[in-house]
Order: sequence, then C-alpha cells, then structure tokens
Amino acid sequence: MSNTEKGIQITLIDTDTLPSLPNKTLLESIEAKNIEVPYHCRDGFCGACRCKLIKGDVDYTIDPLAFIDDDEVLLCCSVPLTDVTLKLE
Amino acid sequence: MKYTTFNQNSINTLAEPMFFGNPVNVARYDQQKHPIFEKLIEKQISFFWRPEEVDVSRDRVDFQKLTAPEKHIFISNLKYQTLLDSIQGRSPNIAMLPIVSLPELETWIETWSFYETIHSRSYTHILRNLFSDPSEIFEDIVVNEEIKRRATDISRYYDDLIFATQLWQTQGVGTHTVNGEVHVISLRELKKKLYLCMNSVNALEAIRFYVSFACTFAFAERKLMEGNSKIIRLIARDENLHLSSTQHILNLWAKGKDDPEMAEIAEECHEEAKAIFLKAVEQEKEWAEYLFASGSMIGLNKDILCQYVEYIANQRMSAIGMGKPFDISSNPLPWMNNHLNSDNVQVAPQESEISSYLVGQIDSAVGEDDFEDFEL
Repeated sequence: MSNTEKGIQITLIDTDTLPSLPNKTLLESIEAKNIEVPYHCRDGFCGACRCKLIKGDVDYTIDPLAFIDDDEVLLCCSVPLTDVTLKLE
Repeated sequence: MKYTTFNQNSINTLAEPMFFGNPVNVARYDQQKHPIFEKLIEKQISFFWRPEEVDVSRDRVDFQKLTAPEKHIFISNLKYQTLLDSIQGRSPNIAMLPIVSLPELETWIETWSFYETIHSRSYTHILRNLFSDPSEIFEDIVVNEEIKRRATDISRYYDDLIFATQLWQTQGVGTHTVNGEVHVISLRELKKKLYLCMNSVNALEAIRFYVSFACTFAFAERKLMEGNSKIIRLIARDENLHLSSTQHILNLWAKGKDDPEMAEIAEECHEEAKAIFLKAVEQEKEWAEYLFASGSMIGLNKDILCQYVEYIANQRMSAIGMGKPFDISSNPLPWMNNHLNSDNVQVAPQESEISSYLVGQIDSAVGEDDFEDFEL
C-alpha cells in the first residue's frame, strides 16, 4: 500500500533513501539526488555501476551483458519493481 | 590431442567446457552453452566503426601547439596503445582458438581480436595525419625500454600457453625435451597456463589502457586533439566490452559453471592471479611517472592518474572476486565518465565526423571572416 502513496523507494545503505522517479533507471534516480555512483557505458555492458541488491526486485530495460552476480544489479539499465535496498560498491 | 579444423565426430557442444574439450566443428549459434558470448558478438558487431570515418585533420594544427612534454605524453601513449593492440589483434586467436570448444566462444574470440585490429589501424590513421612519415614512432615501439618491459609481461603468459599447447597437440601428454629444455605437459598444467593467461588478458583490458585514455580525454576537455579523442572513445567502448567477456570467463570458471577442474585451479591460483593484476597496476603507475617525467599537462598530474588507476583497479578486481585492495572510493577524474558513456560515442552517418558520408560537402575550417556578412 505504501508504494501507491509514496511511490517506490530506493534505500542506499549508509547513504540515503530516495524516491524512484517515473520512467527512470535506478542510476538516473540516484543521480537526481546528486549522489556519486560509478558508471561508464550506461548501456549495460561495462559493469561499472554493478552493485549489491539487498532487498527488492528490479526489471531490466535492456539485456545486461556485463557480469553480475546473483545478488547484484546493474543500476544503468534496471528499474525497481518494488521498494529496493542497495549497497553501492 | 591433435587439432583438427573440422572435427568429424558428433559432439554435443552443450556438454562441452569452454576450453580443452573437443575441437569445434559446426559453427552454429542456434543453441549455446553460454549465451552471453553470442550476445557479446552481436553487441560488438553493432559497434562497427572505421577509423577513416573520424576526421582527424584538425588534430595536426592542435598538435603543433602542444608543449614538448605534452607531445611526449600524447605520442608515448599512442605507442603504448599500439603495442597493446598489436598483441591483442593476434594473441587471443593464436592462443585460444586451438583449444576452444564452444562455437559461440570461438566466434567471440575471433570478433574480439578483429576489433583490436581496427584499433591498430586507427593508430596508423592518427599518426599518418600528424607526421608525414610516422615510421620513427612505430620503430621506437620495439626499442623503447619502457614499452618493452610492459610487452614482456603481457606477452609471456600468451607465449607460455601457446608453446605448451603446441607441444600437447603435437607430442601429447608427457615429458618432452625441446632444444635441451625439459617440458612436462599435462592437461592440468595447460589449464593452469590458460587460467593465468586469461587473468593477464583481463588485467590488460581492465586497466592497461586507462592512463592513456585519461590523458587523451584530458586533452579533449581542453578542446585539443578531438579527432583522436573521438577514436579513443570508440576504442574505450570496445575495450569495455572485451573486459566484460574476460570477466565472464573467469567468473564462469570460479563459480563452477563450466569445467570443474578450472574451478579448482581458480581457487589454487587465486593469489598468483591477483599478483598478475597488482603488477599491472604497478606498471600503469610507473607508466604515468614516465609520461610526466619531463613535464606535466594541464588538468592532469602523475598523482591523480595513479589514484585513478587504483580507483578503476578496485572496481575491476572486485568484479572477479579479488576484493578492493586500494583505499580509494571516490572517482578522482569524474569527467572521464562523460567520455566513457556509450551514448556519447554513437556515430550516425549524418554526423559530420563521418567523412566518407560527407566528402566534399563540408568545409570544417571556419575562419574569423566567415561570418562577416552575416546579419540577424
């Protein structure tokens, strides 16, 4: 229920909690709050924005080609489906 | 096992390991053991570019304006990149194709190496524009001690694997004496050599280009050598993709998702592999020192470059389970990301940089008096 009231929330461990912006990737939503996140290609193949997904579900906007472990996500090409908790690398 | 260019036995490639299984026979991509390599091929092909598409003619004027230390930095980096791509344009093919067992991985290796040859061609394109005779630059690559030292370290793992594979494929498993030297060949030893070689290549793709990239993009930030920078952006995009492939290979092994013996070897050789990466980091830092020995350039110095190497090494080492050995978490050169962003390298034919599309249609030189009779 809280999702419809507040929208989807992105929690960054040790950093901040912020709203997921509509039609924006996780990377774009985090950058909108002026938080520095590593990135290079912004196209899912370099892996620079790889980070740990502690809780929640994401969907990919494109097929990620960079190596990501089972508990990791690529911020540049994923959108949250639920509230998510991330640990930036 | 003797190599054959067309293995006439029926093989189920879905049950083969990446390397040291049966030689590949049919080049088929309808089914894949590791679909990631097929995806990488498609992505890499979608990146196709030709050096001649990028207009570097303005760089000649910029180059004349550089200070002597800046010229040293620019040319030395081109020499080093020429060395790296000379090696990468042939070595994955020679070292890995004789032992690969999956069609999608075989084709990935060929595609990967082919793109490195495009990079090599682009260095000639850049240098031909700057010098009427670039021979002196190319000839120095095999003489320059700084470059040679790096060449030795990069090529030795490849050479080791290639030689051992040749012995194995011609003489088989056992102890062989060649020119008075005794070589013990076993499949386990070969796999170890492959593992170390893959780590060396991974370190190359991960960090060896980045001191050079940083210098190039620092020039571009000052609106200098922009044609060159455009080419290097295309190269950097390719290298990031190549790195993704070596990371996938290493992780497939380490996580036991391919050859179980390679998982054992990954564990056994973990420290040795880490040492290979750390040595590459050291060499890159020494390279930064060599570049800046005779003077600096605006926007960059040796210390900040070394920090950047450590920053990027942390990212790339953690991707293959080597942790983050360096105490740096913030990007010391944040503007680098703009140049490594894939969106900023897309080339559309209508863009003026593609000279072949606009031959004779655009005069890229704009003089002060060109707007003289222009009124609003």
